Amino acid sequence: MSIYAVNKLCRDALHDLAFRAALQRDAKSAIAPLALTDQERAALLAGDVAWLYEHGAHPFLLAYLTRWELFGLSVARYSERIRTAREPAMEQHK
Amino acid sequence: MAEIVAAFGVPHAPNYPALVAKQGPDCAPAKHFAEIATRLRAAAPDVLIIYTDDHFNTFFLDNFPIFAIGIADRTSGPNDQTPMPSYSVGVEASLAIHLRARAIAAGFDISLAQDFHLDHSIMVPLHFLTPKMSIPIVPIFINGLAPPLPSSQRCFALGEAVADAIRDWPARKRVAVMGSGSFSLEIGGPRIPPGERACTPDPDWVTRVQDHLMQADVAALVEEATPARMARAGNIGGELLNWIAMLGAVGDRKPIFIAPEADHGHAYAAWRLD
Repeated sequence: MSIYAVNKLCRDALHDLAFRAALQRDAKSAIAPLALTDQERAALLAGDVAWLYEHGAHPFLLAYLTRWELFGLSVARYSERIRTAREPAMEQHK
Repeated sequence: MAEIVAAFGVPHAPNYPALVAKQGPDCAPAKHFAEIATRLRAAAPDVLIIYTDDHFNTFFLDNFPIFAIGIADRTSGPNDQTPMPSYSVGVEASLAIHLRARAIAAGFDISLAQDFHLDHSIMVPLHFLTPKMSIPIVPIFINGLAPPLPSSQRCFALGEAVADAIRDWPARKRVAVMGSGSFSLEIGGPRIPPGERACTPDPDWVTRVQDHLMQADVAALVEEATPARMARAGNIGGELLNWIAMLGAVGDRKPIFIAPEADHGHAYAAWRLD
């Protein structure tokens, strides 16, 4: 269920300016307190949006990350990676 | 008793206020919204009911309703940092209370929101159509973004139930109904082109939806708008459900105005119902 924390992180990057600044400053430290699995944490830090999408992160929320190029996600890099993603299984929509 | 005097369908692209501010009144969105605004003024509604999908701003995934209604005296927005002016707008609470009670009695378990703010999906249309915020609204939220979505049949039936309830509202008021959203749109998903954040994956679906609207063939539209078909139109394709709920008040009447922006995945339309 911790993909919820990934979606929440994306939303908080939009709404919580202090959190956004922390992500820009030092993403690894900023997400350290969050309830993420090791795989989710690694995927975020690698900017692996295809993996995150396949595991239930919502693309509308994921795309927020490009606004400030968080986790190194320029629009070019984001689009290149998300285009390789497979559709998530329905059970991943949680 | 209240009367349903008009219905409208509009897009809510969050970049439009800034785009129109930059490009002026001759750009396509400015012209199309002006056409709708003219017909809204002509219909002179006392209340505007708006079907929309929250984009994880009013609600979030900790508790995301399939259907919800906003009941308050006032609300405000946008609450999602859309580049546009901020507004406060009145809510017609007495009608919202009536609609909620009637919807629940008709079998629609519609959630209640009493402390809420609105995102671009309502504030962008109001910015163009009622910039003085002179018409109180009733927001009705439909989950168009977080699958599984409610069915098109269910949304149309909700629209019919709401329309029945409006006609039973014991206030001598004129009511208009609006659906807000796209027919084909992908944001941040695998179908976006290289170097883009969004795209319109399925302009043919936009044309087909528009054809059904022009022919007043709501039954065909509802039948064709399956979860799979809407998903093929993009991960935001479920916004069509807002229009389908609005059509519950329209029945088999043809629009008096319709203008597509198929390349952008949406359209503008107006119906007179009085």
